[in-house]
Amino acid sequence: MKALRPPDRSSATHAAALAISAVIMLVPAYSLPVMHLGIAGQVASDTTILSGILQLWRDGLGGLAAIVFTASFLVPLLKLAGLGCLLVAARHRPGSHARLLTRIYGAVNFIGRWSMLDVFLVAFLSGAVRFGKLASVEPRPGILAFGAVVVLTMLATHRFDPRILWTEAPSAGSGPDDARAVQAAVPRPSAFLSPSS
Amino acid sequence: MNPEDSHLQCPLCGQSHRAPFLEPGQRALCVRCGATLAERGRLGPDAALVFALTGLVLALPSLLLPFVTLTKVGNERTVLLSGGVEGLWMSGFGLLASLVLFCGILAPLGLLTLLVAVLWAETRANPVEWHETLRHWAHGVERWAMPEVQILGVMVAFFKLGTVVNLSVGPGLWCYGAASLFTLLAWRRFSLQPRGQQARATPAPASA
Repeated sequence: MKALRPPDRSSATHAAALAISAVIMLVPAYSLPVMHLGIAGQVASDTTILSGILQLWRDGLGGLAAIVFTASFLVPLLKLAGLGCLLVAARHRPGSHARLLTRIYGAVNFIGRWSMLDVFLVAFLSGAVRFGKLASVEPRPGILAFGAVVVLTMLATHRFDPRILWTEAPSAGSGPDDARAVQAAVPRPSAFLSPSS
Repeated sequence: MNPEDSHLQCPLCGQSHRAPFLEPGQRALCVRCGATLAERGRLGPDAALVFALTGLVLALPSLLLPFVTLTKVGNERTVLLSGGVEGLWMSGFGLLASLVLFCGILAPLGLLTLLVAVLWAETRANPVEWHETLRHWAHGVERWAMPEVQILGVMVAFFKLGTVVNLSVGPGLWCYGAASLFTLLAWRRFSLQPRGQQARATPAPASA
């Protein structure tokens, strides 16, 4: 494995700029309509992310409403809150909290992509439901803003170098240590190999 | 074996490690932050290549076969995987259409192609020179490949459209779903596969 670059301290500044841009884009993403639904015999309506979730709830699709609420509302907010924690911590020498913060980074990185759910949903509906006056779905500017939020938060997460959280923390050894080898599934005692001299 | 392959550096905390020999089913954890650095699957070293090849084979029909067929009062409409991109593009959302095209189609296809190329190169006694570059590209592309999210989005759309139009799932969607599953399996094994151990038949001698 090639040696990685040294921790990039400037990554926090770049990540902060991207995260702030994402926060700004949240306003149009949640306030503007994301799609227009027109069905024959019904009043055509513009739907925002939150009104879409409420509509699913009213239609008796509570589970689905929970999935969309999590992916489209909670995940972006949690990602930005997590990034905010990491960026503040990176400025204040996290020290003993480095392990917890690294886990937060891992979680933020993992959940990031699921916010794209609403973008894929609107894309599919606008491509599939094209029956003229009988039924049609068209995208609206809110979905563009929401897509920007997703991309900006993902870029911010990728730009942030989590190793800067550890620059003040003591290394586990002076030289390269043996990684712990453990059973993945079977709950056996962990096998430790002695550190190299 | 390349001597560099016997070292692992944690991408999350930067801690250097000497890679332990892993038995099938074992994984190596970072001594400092606890991140998983490598994992040796029970299915053998070629499993990732098999998964990636299967995914790639399934990806091609997913592009060409009908994804979904919708019916509304006698009007029938068949949509391909690229239907969403087309819909956004025709509505004047070219930028968003490009994002959906990249994350839903190009990046997953590119990732599978890169995985097959890298894993095939690693099966050779002397991996080709561009092997490391392709590995680096694969890590870059994976961040943006989101076939599983697209599947969930389509599922949500099905429920949303339940009363508006009649829907039937086409073979393209089944192939796309299977391809995304194999992409996940291939990536999991590829990203955590202990490098250099494929060639090592016996455990490295433990230091005193």
